Amino acid sequence: MSCELKNKDRVGVINPIFTCQPAGAQFASIGIKDTIGLVHGGQGCVMFVRLLISQHFKESFEIASSSVHEDGAVFGALNRVEEGVDVLLMRYPDVKIIPIISTCSTEIIGDDIDGVVIKLNEGLLKEKYPDREVHLIPIHTPSFVGSMISGYDVAVKDFVSYFAKKDQPNRKINLFTGWVNPGDVTALKHLLAEMQIDATVLFEIESFDSPVMPDGNHVSHGNTTIEDLTGTANAFGSIVLNRYEGGKAAKFLEKKFDIPALIGPTPIGIRNTDTFLQNLKTMTGKPIPESLVRERGLAIDALTDLSHMFFADKRVAIYGNPDLVIGLAEFCLDLEMKPVLLLLGDDNPGYKEDPRIKALQEKVDYDMQIIMNADFWDLENRIKNEGLELDLILGHSKGRFISIDYDIPMLRVGFPTYDRAGMHRYPVVGYAGAIWLAEQMANTLFADMEHKKNKEWLLNVW
Amino acid sequence: MPHHEFECSTTIPERKKHAVIKGAGEDLTSALPEGYLNTIPGSISERGCAYCGAKHVIGTPMKDVIHLSHGPVGCTYDTWQTKRYISDNENFQLKYTFATDMKEKNIVFGAEKMLKQNIIEAFKAFPQIKRMTLYQTCASALIGDDIGAVAQEVMEEMPEVDIFVCNSPGFKGPSQSGGHHTINIAWIKDKVGTVEPKITSDYVINYVGEYNIQGDEEIMHDYFKRMGIQVLSTFTGNGSYDDLRAMHGAHLNVLECARSAEYICNELRVRYGIPRLDIDGFGFEPLSDSLRKVGLFFGIEERAQKIIDEETARWKPELEWYKERLKGKKVCLWPGGSKLWHWAHVIHEEMGLDVVSVYTKFGHQQDMEKGIARCEEGTLAIDDPNELESVEAMLRLKPDVIFTGKRPGEVAKKIRVPYLNAHAYHNGPYKGYEGWVRFARDIYNAIYSPIHQLSLLDISKDEIPTDKGFATQMMFSDAALSEEAASASTQRQYTGKYDCVPDYMNKTYPDELKKKPVGAH
Repeated sequence: MSCELKNKDRVGVINPIFTCQPAGAQFASIGIKDTIGLVHGGQGCVMFVRLLISQHFKESFEIASSSVHEDGAVFGALNRVEEGVDVLLMRYPDVKIIPIISTCSTEIIGDDIDGVVIKLNEGLLKEKYPDREVHLIPIHTPSFVGSMISGYDVAVKDFVSYFAKKDQPNRKINLFTGWVNPGDVTALKHLLAEMQIDATVLFEIESFDSPVMPDGNHVSHGNTTIEDLTGTANAFGSIVLNRYEGGKAAKFLEKKFDIPALIGPTPIGIRNTDTFLQNLKTMTGKPIPESLVRERGLAIDALTDLSHMFFADKRVAIYGNPDLVIGLAEFCLDLEMKPVLLLLGDDNPGYKEDPRIKALQEKVDYDMQIIMNADFWDLENRIKNEGLELDLILGHSKGRFISIDYDIPMLRVGFPTYDRAGMHRYPVVGYAGAIWLAEQMANTLFADMEHKKNKEWLLNVW
Repeated sequence: MPHHEFECSTTIPERKKHAVIKGAGEDLTSALPEGYLNTIPGSISERGCAYCGAKHVIGTPMKDVIHLSHGPVGCTYDTWQTKRYISDNENFQLKYTFATDMKEKNIVFGAEKMLKQNIIEAFKAFPQIKRMTLYQTCASALIGDDIGAVAQEVMEEMPEVDIFVCNSPGFKGPSQSGGHHTINIAWIKDKVGTVEPKITSDYVINYVGEYNIQGDEEIMHDYFKRMGIQVLSTFTGNGSYDDLRAMHGAHLNVLECARSAEYICNELRVRYGIPRLDIDGFGFEPLSDSLRKVGLFFGIEERAQKIIDEETARWKPELEWYKERLKGKKVCLWPGGSKLWHWAHVIHEEMGLDVVSVYTKFGHQQDMEKGIARCEEGTLAIDDPNELESVEAMLRLKPDVIFTGKRPGEVAKKIRVPYLNAHAYHNGPYKGYEGWVRFARDIYNAIYSPIHQLSLLDISKDEIPTDKGFATQMMFSDAALSEEAASASTQRQYTGKYDCVPDYMNKTYPDELKKKPVGAH
C-alpha cells in the first residue's frame, strides 16, 4: 500500500508523451494578439508544431521560421533573424510582438538572440519602422532542456516580464490558466463573472475556436493584448491554476512588483474548484454567490448518479501535462476510483517537492506509481509484460494505440486530442468541467461494457 | 517574362521569380519559376526540414524497423502520428517511434554512450524486431556524435541486428527534399547488396518511390502480381528492411515519385545496371500506359492488357459518373512535390477539372517543368508558397476545391474553399483504378457538400431560402445536367467498400504466371 514516485528506468524514449520546449513557447505565442513568433532554427521545428496545433484545434495558426539552413548552422544564423523580423513587419502590418524563440540548433551554435534584438532595436526598428510599435522578445527554449511544459512556462514568464509595468492598481486579478482549451477559458470566465471579479486572463484563447464567416479569411488567434500584459504588474494578485504552466510568471510578478501569487490547485473536480473559489474570495473579498452554490449542486447531483455505482475501484492510468494529470488523479480519487499509474512526461525536479504529489505519497491507501520522465512504453510495457490491469485511461491522442491494441477504454483529455471531434470546446475545469469529465468517463465505460458484453445489461435500469 | 508578383509579396521582390502564369503560347523557356532555393526567413513558408524529409517521408514507411532519432525528443514526437502510411504488420512503424531524448548534459559531454544504451533498450523492448534506422537531427549533427561508429559497435556485439544510419539534420538544404536525397544515397551505399534476394519469379521489380498512403502500395501490388511479377521490395511504403537490402536483385526499377526517390533508381542503374522505368499509378490512362510499359519490358504485354481491360470495364463507368459532374470545376493543385505533375494533366483529362494553380513546397524546377508542361494556359504556378500568397491566390482564383495539406486546408476552410488532403488523402487509396474513382468521389463530395453550400450564405444580408429542409450532393451536381446525362445508365457512383484494401491484400495468385512461357526469352 504505497505511492511510489520514481524516474523511468530507461535512458531513451519509446513513444514520447511530450514534445520539446520550443513547441510550448509557440503555443504561448499564439495566445497574444498581433503576435507572430519567429522560431530560430530548422523549418521542421515550426512546420510540425503548426501541424500539431492544427490537428488539435482544426484551425491554422501563424508562426514563422527563421529557416536556418546549412550555411547558418556553420557560420551563425543571426542574419536570418534580422531578415525574418523585417519580412514579418513588412508583410504583416498589424504585428506588434515578435518573440524570437530559440531551438536546440541555434542554442548549440550559440546564436545570441538577445544581442540581435538589441541590434534590431537600435538599427532596423529605428531606421525603417520609427513610428511603429514593435516588441522583439528573445525566448530561450533549447529543446534539450525541459519539455513543452517548461517551454510554455518560460515563454509566459518572458512575455509578462517584458511588458509588466507598475502603474495605478487596476483592481483585477491575474489568472494564469496554463495550457488549456477554449472550453476551459469559457468555464473559468463564467466563474469569474458569477463572482463579479475582473480578471486579466492569460491567455484569452477562446478565439482559437474561430468561425467560418461570410467575409472569409478569418485567422484564428488569441486575444490577450499588450495592455493586459502590462497591467499584470497592477493586479490584486495572481492565481496560477497550473503550477508548471504559468508559475514562473506569477513568481516573477510577486518578486518584482509585490503582486501576491496563489499557485494551484488546478480546479479539476469539485474539491479543487471549491479551493479556486475560496482563493478568489480571499484575494478579492468577493463572496461566492448563490448561483455557484446551485451550479455546484448540479455537479454534485450528476456525480452522485455515477460514483459508487460505476466508478468505485476502477483502475485508471493518467498521462499528460503534469497539472492536468495530478488534477485528474485527485478528482478520480474523489470519485472512488483508483488512479494506479500517473505518467509525467518530463524530468522537472519540482515534482518531488510538489505538495500534491507529497500528499498522494502520504495518503494513498493502495498501490500507485508516479513515473517521472515517463514515456508511453512505461504504460504499454506494464500492460503487455507486467500484468497491469486497467479499467480506464485518461490522456491525449498520442497514446491512442495503447487503448486500441489492448482494448482499454480511454477518454481523450489534454493536448493534443486529434482523434476525437471537438474536445477543445469542452471544459475540464470548474463545476462544468467536473460534470463533463465524469459523464464522459461514464459514457466511455458504458460503451466499453457494451462492446465487450461486460455486464452491459446493468444499464437497463439506472 | 510572365512572372507573377503577389500584392502581399511586393516587399520581398525576390519572390517574384517564384511564381509564373502560363500565358498563351508560352512554354517552359519563358514560364518557369525559380525553385529549391533558400527559404526567405519570416515568410511563413510551408516547408519542413531535411530530417523530416528523410525520416518522416522515406524512412518511417519501412515497416519492420525501429526508427530511432538521435536528438531531443521534439523531432520524434512532432513527426509521429501525422501520416497515413499503413503496413501489413499491424502498423508497427506508425505506432512506435523512438528518441534518444538528448539532454543538456549530452550536448555538453557528447551523447554516443547514451545512444548505445538507447539502441540496446529499444531492441530489448521489441525482441521480434531486429532492424533499426538511426536518424541524425540538428542537435546530434552539431555536437558531432559519430552515429555510424556506435551503430557498428552494436552490430558487432549483437550480430543478429542490423542498423542503418541516416545523417540528415534538419538544416541540410532548403526543405525536406535534401533529406530525400540523403536517405536514398545512404541506403544504396550502405545497405543495398548486403542481403541476397529470394527470387520467386522470372519477372522481378523494385517498386520505388511508393509510400503506401492509405494502401496505395497494396492496390498496385495486385496488378503486378496478376502479371506474375515479383515485387522484390517497395521503397519504402509497407517495405521490409531486408527486402530493400536485396534491391540489386531486380530486373527493373519501377519508379513512382521521382521527386523523392529517383536518386536511388539512378544509382541502381549505375551500380547494378538495373533500368529505371517511370510509371504513374494515378489515373486510368497513365496507369494503363504504365502497366503496358512494364508488360512490354518483360514481354508480357497481353497480361497487362487483360488487367487494363478488366479494371477499366469494372471502374470506368464510375469514373465517368463523377467526370460528368466535375467538368469545369476549378482546382488549386497544391501538394508537396511530385503530385503536381502526377495529377495536373490527368485530373483535367479524366475528371474534367480545370487546374487553375499548381504549387510545390519542396519540389525542384524539374517538377515545375513537368507540372507546367501539363497545365492549361492561365495556370498560376508557385514555388515555395507562403501563407499570404496562398490566401491571395485563392481569393483571386476562386477555386472550387483545393488539394493540399491538413493545416493549409484549415486556411482554405476559412475562405470557404473545400479542401482534400493531397498528402494523406481523405478516403484513399487514390492509386489504381479503384483508387482513382475514390479520389473522384472525394472531390465530388467536397465540392457538392451541402454544408459547404450553406457556408456561402450570409444570413444577415442574403435572402434565406426557406423551401428546403435538406439538400443532397446530387441536388446541386445534377441541377445543370441534361436529363440524358443525369440518368445515363452506363454510369454509376462508386460501389466499393469503405476500406477496399483488405480485399486486395487477401487475394491469391496462380504460381504459373511467375514462369516465363516456354519459348519466351
